[in-house]
Amino acid sequence: MTGLTSSYGAGCGAGQSFGSAVIKSWLAADSLQTAAAALLVALGAVPGAWLRFKLVNHLEPLLPRRHWGTLGVNLIACFALGLVVGLEQSCGEAARRLLLLLSTGFLGSFSTFSTFVAELQTELTARRWDQAALLLGGSLVGGLLALRSGLLLGAGP
Amino acid sequence: MNRRALVDEIWALALVAAGAIPGALLRWQLGDQILVANLLGCLLIGMISVAASGRPRWLLWGAIGFCGSLTTFSSWMLELNRAGLPVLASHLGGGLAALLLGQALSRRGLRVWRRVRSAAGSTR
Repeated sequence: MTGLTSSYGAGCGAGQSFGSAVIKSWLAADSLQTAAAALLVALGAVPGAWLRFKLVNHLEPLLPRRHWGTLGVNLIACFALGLVVGLEQSCGEAARRLLLLLSTGFLGSFSTFSTFVAELQTELTARRWDQAALLLGGSLVGGLLALRSGLLLGAGP
Repeated sequence: MNRRALVDEIWALALVAAGAIPGALLRWQLGDQILVANLLGCLLIGMISVAASGRPRWLLWGAIGFCGSLTTFSSWMLELNRAGLPVLASHLGGGLAALLLGQALSRRGLRVWRRVRSAAGSTR
């Protein structure tokens, strides 16, 4: 399979666009596995994004500010990622790849950096320094704590 | 739930999913380059939030679906836990700068667009 891939790679010359060379090398390589991996990432991404969207909207009226909902979602994701990374060490190769794809799809999609930065900027431009400091500090300290407790629990005794 | 609310709900979920899938696949293809994914997401959310303000469907697809899925907080924390301060500074400083750049680009684009449209209207 690698022989085929490299021959396609070498054939990527003047008349062939970069895009078609990439597609051909994918087809020559384990295209089924690539497709299955992409499908797993996508399958994780959809419920991850839905859960974040619904959870933040659901929590919004219960919290003084919307950004606490985003912070909560991000902290849960950090804890879960720590758990997954800790568990991975005691898994076989196949299970490890599956976990990696699911955590890339689901947890990566569930947690968000762009909304966090946008909400931080909103607080900064409104000169609500206390809110900005609480959001930033809570995210950093809380995120690291959540991640480490996940790692600790996942690694086991 | 009445019929109208149900249709709106399904639309919202479909738009978020339609943004989340390409966002997650792009992040997956970027591999270890979480910084690239996060900065690109901040740039795009800056552009979208200005260009699509007051258009909830665009925001659902672009901001909540695509950018939310493309960027990741948990992997940032994992890297921060491993590599410390440089990761903190690059993501936070870069993210805020990218967001501001996106907003500025979008505002400029909107201004040009309005000028072109009003010029086209006056010649008619």
